[in-house]
Amino acid sequence: MLGEQILYLSVGELAKKIQSKQISPVELTESYLARSEALGPKLNAYARLTPDLALEQAHAAEKDIQRGHYRGPLHGIPFAAKDLLAVKGVPTTWGAKPFADQVFDYNATVIEHLHNVGAILLGKAAMIELAGGMGYAYASASLQGEAKNPWDTKCWTCGSSSGSGAIVAAGLAGFAIGTETWGSIVCPSAFCGVSGFRPTYGRVSRRGAMALSYSMDKIGPLARSAEDCTNIFAAIAGHDPLDRSTLPVDKAAFTYSPAADLKGRSLRIGWLTNAWKKYDPGIGKIVDAAKIALRHHFPSVRDAALPEGPWEDAATLILSGEAGSAFSQLIRSGRVKDLNDPVGRLGGYVSQSVSGADYTTALRIRDILQKKMTEMFDSYDVLATASLPVAATPLNLNLVTGLSFPDPLGGIGNLCGLPALSVPCGFTDKNLPVGLQFVGRAGDDAAVLQAGRIFQQTTTWHKKHPRIS
Amino acid sequence: MNEPRKSGITRRQFARRAALLSASASIAPAASVFAGPLLTPPAQEAAAAHPNLSAESQAEAEARYQQILSQYGGRFSAEEKGSLREMNLVTQSSLDKVRAYSLENGDAPALYLKPLVEREKKPVQPPAAAPAKKS
Repeated sequence: MLGEQILYLSVGELAKKIQSKQISPVELTESYLARSEALGPKLNAYARLTPDLALEQAHAAEKDIQRGHYRGPLHGIPFAAKDLLAVKGVPTTWGAKPFADQVFDYNATVIEHLHNVGAILLGKAAMIELAGGMGYAYASASLQGEAKNPWDTKCWTCGSSSGSGAIVAAGLAGFAIGTETWGSIVCPSAFCGVSGFRPTYGRVSRRGAMALSYSMDKIGPLARSAEDCTNIFAAIAGHDPLDRSTLPVDKAAFTYSPAADLKGRSLRIGWLTNAWKKYDPGIGKIVDAAKIALRHHFPSVRDAALPEGPWEDAATLILSGEAGSAFSQLIRSGRVKDLNDPVGRLGGYVSQSVSGADYTTALRIRDILQKKMTEMFDSYDVLATASLPVAATPLNLNLVTGLSFPDPLGGIGNLCGLPALSVPCGFTDKNLPVGLQFVGRAGDDAAVLQAGRIFQQTTTWHKKHPRIS
Repeated sequence: MNEPRKSGITRRQFARRAALLSASASIAPAASVFAGPLLTPPAQEAAAAHPNLSAESQAEAEARYQQILSQYGGRFSAEEKGSLREMNLVTQSSLDKVRAYSLENGDAPALYLKPLVEREKKPVQPPAAAPAKKS
């Protein structure tokens, strides 16, 4: 079995070893499976492992590579997929008891894309029930129970891509796929000390993914570096004729060119002064240090401010209205009572009470905001701030009282479908990770990824990993 | 900005936070956490916890709550009913802010129909070969 020093390598580093046949996909898969079987249950990280499928794919990858058919940097790399992505013949529970026995007879497009480049599906990552679509007050709002943070198992991973964050942070897979409607990639990435990327809305097909908010759901990777996120994004991005929300072919596809991307543009960074009202103790100085590090690479860092307006409220109403429709059957049938969370059992009823007129008004506000943000990005290529003003919170915290604060950047970014990347930028006195967030213009995913990759060229926060027994 | 501030939470602050959290699907409770305290007071007391809501807004929130009860009332315990009432008040705050935003008639929604113009036509089946004529 391969040791931690290998299992914690980035996708890029693993790929070099696989291509040069220093390690085999089968050996790597067996090692991640063994580690996942041993540590996964302690963290409530997986909904289920798929060892038979994984080994079948690993043997196929190994055979291909031995024959000289190397498909690229994800070939032979094991990954986990959030349990709201359909995998043919494998239960896809959406993290929720009412769907515990749900099985699809097809693969989500993202799963197909990753299969086509030779990545190996290790299993389905645990998640917050219905990705939090009905609301939740506790980390235990999941079929698998609360996901425990590998940096401190008394703390939460954040949600809703909770298992995806735990799996990457604990070295249980090479990378994981998560989804975000509002914060569900950025927050687990920050809490777990991993790099997580939320693509522009419409660049990654959602066919086969549970719908929570039709106009806000996005799919993206959680990995060990911004460079890994870039590689994975290149594999999963693209127009899908079976998902009408995807962008046209020329706008959706993403091509990765390592050297050119880093040297190509001199990014104008806007450091946000009004993203967070206050930081928890110990976070502010870490974020200040990150700003200094950014200035080293980007001399043009200037203060910037988000526009003021009811953006979060508009996002809330859109999300509520769409979730109320997406889960209408569940709510009307009363099966929503089978959700774990006391808030989740009730939130859907309130979502359905949002009127069509109010929903449409929120959409009109969204259009105005899109124009304001487009203007803002005439002055900046990338906006930067802390991913969150807090570090990982205790497992049993009431999230309503303990993890509740204005999040204008999250509201704006998700309302407008803007790309975002969270990368680790330090640790608190309690050794909990802190994240730095980059947000870019819709469609300019490359700038966001470039900023993260440059930041990680001279920082090592992303290379640290927790000690897990 | 970076100065940490921590304090106890009052009932009023709680309502405020719940309203904000309803937005922060994200951060945690995605999708309108709508999370109110599970032990919630009767109508007048609940409304008093939302002093920023006008009497009309409080009445509207109460009406939406009653609408839910009229449709599904038998499903909820007394405790859950209290939470539902609170959640509707929290949602009302977002509704009020969105409605107060100045919009012109021509400010269209950021949602557009994509007509199925690109949809492939059903392929035309080649005509079946005519059966050989019997002589």
